[in-house]
Amino acid sequence: MNIRSKAWKLLMVGGLGASLLAGCGGGEEASNSAESVTVSKEGFPIVEQPITLTMMAPDVGIQNWEDMVVLQEMEKMSNIKFEYKNAPKDSFETKKNLVFASEDYPDVFYAAGLTASEQLKYGEQGVLVPLEDMIDEYAPNFKALLDEYPDVRKSITAPDGHIYSLPVVEFSQHWYRNPMWYNGEFLEKLGVDKLPETTEELYDYLKRVKEEDPNGNGEADEIPISSVTTPAANIRDIRTWLLGAFGAYEEEIYVDDSDVVHYTPMDESFKHYLEYMNRLWADGLLDPESFSQTAEQKKAKGQNNQLALFSDWNAYMTKGGEPSTEDPMFLPVRSEYVEKAAIAKNRGITTGAFAITKTNPHPEASLRWVDYLYSYEGALLFNKGPEGTLWEYENEADRTKKYLPVPDGQDREDYRATLTPNYGIPAPTVTTDDIGKGLTTDFDTWVSEETQTKLLDNGARIPFPALFLTVEEQSEINSLNSDLSTYVKQMEAKFITGAEPMSGWDNYVATLKKMGAERVAEINQAAYDRWKSN
Amino acid sequence: MVKSMQESKGDKMFLLGTYVYLCMALVVVLYPLIYILSASISSPQAVNSGQMWLFPKDITWAGYELVFNNPKIWNGYLNTIIYTVVGTLLNLAVTLPAAYALSRSDFVGRNWFMGFILLTMFFSGGLVPTYLVVKNLGLIDTMGALILPVAASVWNIVVARTFFQSTIPKELQEAAHIDGCTNIKLFWKIVLPLSAPIIAVMALFYGVGHWNSYFSSLIYLNSESKYPLQMVLRQILVLQEMSAEMNGAGVSGEVAQAMNSKAETASLIKYGVIVVSTLPIIAVYPFLQRYFVQGVMIGSVKG
Repeated sequence: MNIRSKAWKLLMVGGLGASLLAGCGGGEEASNSAESVTVSKEGFPIVEQPITLTMMAPDVGIQNWEDMVVLQEMEKMSNIKFEYKNAPKDSFETKKNLVFASEDYPDVFYAAGLTASEQLKYGEQGVLVPLEDMIDEYAPNFKALLDEYPDVRKSITAPDGHIYSLPVVEFSQHWYRNPMWYNGEFLEKLGVDKLPETTEELYDYLKRVKEEDPNGNGEADEIPISSVTTPAANIRDIRTWLLGAFGAYEEEIYVDDSDVVHYTPMDESFKHYLEYMNRLWADGLLDPESFSQTAEQKKAKGQNNQLALFSDWNAYMTKGGEPSTEDPMFLPVRSEYVEKAAIAKNRGITTGAFAITKTNPHPEASLRWVDYLYSYEGALLFNKGPEGTLWEYENEADRTKKYLPVPDGQDREDYRATLTPNYGIPAPTVTTDDIGKGLTTDFDTWVSEETQTKLLDNGARIPFPALFLTVEEQSEINSLNSDLSTYVKQMEAKFITGAEPMSGWDNYVATLKKMGAERVAEINQAAYDRWKSN
Repeated sequence: MVKSMQESKGDKMFLLGTYVYLCMALVVVLYPLIYILSASISSPQAVNSGQMWLFPKDITWAGYELVFNNPKIWNGYLNTIIYTVVGTLLNLAVTLPAAYALSRSDFVGRNWFMGFILLTMFFSGGLVPTYLVVKNLGLIDTMGALILPVAASVWNIVVARTFFQSTIPKELQEAAHIDGCTNIKLFWKIVLPLSAPIIAVMALFYGVGHWNSYFSSLIYLNSESKYPLQMVLRQILVLQEMSAEMNGAGVSGEVAQAMNSKAETASLIKYGVIVVSTLPIIAVYPFLQRYFVQGVMIGSVKG
C-alpha cells in the first residue's frame, strides 16, 4: 500500500513537471507574437521598446556569442536582443535540415549558407520571407549596394522574382582559389629571372628542378609540383590554374567569351590539360603522392624545402618561416592552343547568408539590423570589432587605422575571434578595401600587387556568375552530377597516371554524354541566358 | 597433472602456432594505441612526414597544453561526468526492474509486453519525429534531453532478462515467497545481490554509450555551457581543420593566417584529443572487465 502510494506520487510529480515544462514552451510563443512595434526607418535604436528574437548560426566554438563585444554593442544600439540557437560549424548542415524538417524555425538565419535550392524550396513554401519590398524601405545601405552593382541583385533574385536571402559581398577578395607560388630559392639557384609564360617553358623549368638539385642537398628529392587530395576533390588546388592554360576558366562549368556554357570535363581544353598532366606525371614532375596525400603531408614536404611549385594562401604557409616576398606568385601560363590563359576570378558574392523566417514577429526590424552590416561602419564593427579593442583610428576622415597591442600576448586573430562572430563563417556583410585601410603590412601590399599584375591585369574574370536554377533544374543537375563527378574524378586520375591511355578519350566523352553531361551544360546555358537577359 | 602428461608433437606445433597468432593479434591491437600516444607528443612535422612511426620524436607537449588550457574542456568534462553518472543510474533504475519483471514466468502478459518492447527495436520513429517529441516535452536545450530519451535500451533489457532467467532459479523465488518475502523485497534483497555481473555489464554498456555520445547533444542542445566533452573536442578539431578546406572564396586573409599558424599544431591536437577523451574509459575498463566476460557469457550460453 505504502509503496503503491509512493509510486503514484512519483507519477504525479512527473506529470506535473511535464505539464509545467509544456506550459513554459507555450507561454514563450505567445509572448513572442502579436504586439506591434514601431520600427524606425533610419538611425538607432531600431525599435523603441526592446525586442527579443532568435538567431541560428554556425559557431566555430571560440567564444559564446552572448559574450561577444560586437553583438553586445549591436544590442545596445539597436534595442534588439538575440537568443542564439547555434550549432557547431561542422554539423550546422545537419541541424539546419532538422530545423526545416521539424518546422522549429529561428527568427533569422545568420551566416547559414542556404543553398539556392533551399532558398527556392522554403521560399515557395513561405517559410522564408521575401525581402525585396522590405529592402526598399528598411535596408537603405543594402539597397544602395544593389543599385550600384546590378549583378548582385541578379544573383540573389530567385527565378520566381523574390529575394529570399542576403549575400556575402566581398569586393576586396579576387582569388577564385588559393594561388600557386614558386619557390623563390629554386628560381634563384637555377638562374631563372623570367617566370615561365607558356606550358612548354613551365615544363622545362620543372624538369630542371627535378634534375639540377636546386635545394643543394645532393639528393634528387625535389618535387617540381605537388598537390593534395581532399574528400571533396583530387588535385583541385593546382587544376584550376593549369586548366586555364588550355582555355577553361573553371573545372566544372564556365561560360566562354561568346556566352556559350561549357561542361569542362568533356571540353577539348580538358583533353589537352590531361595530356599535359600525363606528361608531367610520366616524367616524374608531378608529385606521385598527389592523389593520396593530405594538406599536412604536402606542407611537411614544403618545410623540407622540396617543392618548387605549389598552391597555398601564401607561400610561407607551406614553406614555413616568415612571410617573404621572395617567393613569387604563379604567372598563369598558356599553351599553344590558346592565345591567352583563362584566369578565374572570385565572384565576390555568396548567396544565402541571411534570411528571415515566417515565424519572425519583427521582420522589418530584423532587416534593419542586418542592413547596418552592409554599411561601412557596420561592416567595420563586425569585421574588426569596436574602436579601441583591436584597432583605433589614426585619421578618421580618410579611414586610416592602426592596430592596438593585443592583451595578454594572444594571437591577434584569436583575440578577434572572441570579439566578433564573423570569423570563418559566411556572414552577411560587405568587405571593402576601406575596412583594412592602414592595417595592411608590406607583405599584404606586395601580395595585392602580385594579384593585380599577374591575375587581374591578364584578364581574370568570373567563370560563371552566381545564379539560380529552378527547383526542377536543380534536382536534375544534382542527380546527374552525383554520377558524373565520381566518374570524372576517377577518369581524370586514370588519364593522368596513365592507367587509361589518352586514346580512350573518345570513349570517355561518349560515356559522359550517356550519363547526361550535355544536359548539364544545357540546363546551365538556359539559366545563364535567363540571368543575362534579366 | 598437466605437466606430467606428454605433449605430442602436434600439440606443441599447435601451441607454437597459437602463440604466433596471438602475438600478431597483439601487435595489431596495440600498434594504433601506441601510435596515437606517440603522435600526441611528437612534433607534427615528424608525424606528417612519416618519420614518427612508433616512438615519439621531437617531443612536445604543446598539444596537451592547448587542450587543457581550453576552459571549455573542463566544463565539457564536468558535463560528461554528470550525463554519464546520472544517465547510467537512471538506465539501471529502468532496465533492471523491467528486465526482472519480464524474466518472471508468472508475470501475466509478459510475452505481450515483450513483443511491444521488441517492436521498437525494429521500427523507430526516425530523427525528425523524435526531435518533435523531445521538443514538445520541453526538453530542448536541457540536460534531460540527453538522458531521458535514452533511459532504456531494448537490447540491454533483453540481455538482462536472459541473465535473470538463467541465473536466478525459480526455487529461490518460491522459497523466499514461502518465507513471506514480497516481490519488491525479493528483487532488492535477493535478486540484485546475485546479479553483480549483469549490473556491471549494464553500467559499462550504458556508461560508454553516454560517454561517447555526441549526436543527441548536437541535435537537442543549443547552449555551449551544456555541451558534453565529445562536442567540445569536436569543436576544437573542427577549428583546426578549417585550414584544410580553405580556398580562395569565403575566407579573408587574416583568417587564413590565423588558421595557418594553427595548422601546425592541428595534428598534435587531434591525437591529444583522442587520448584525453578515451583515457577515462580505458582506465575504468579493467576493473569491470572481470564481470564483463562473466556477465555476457552467462547471458549467452543458456537461452
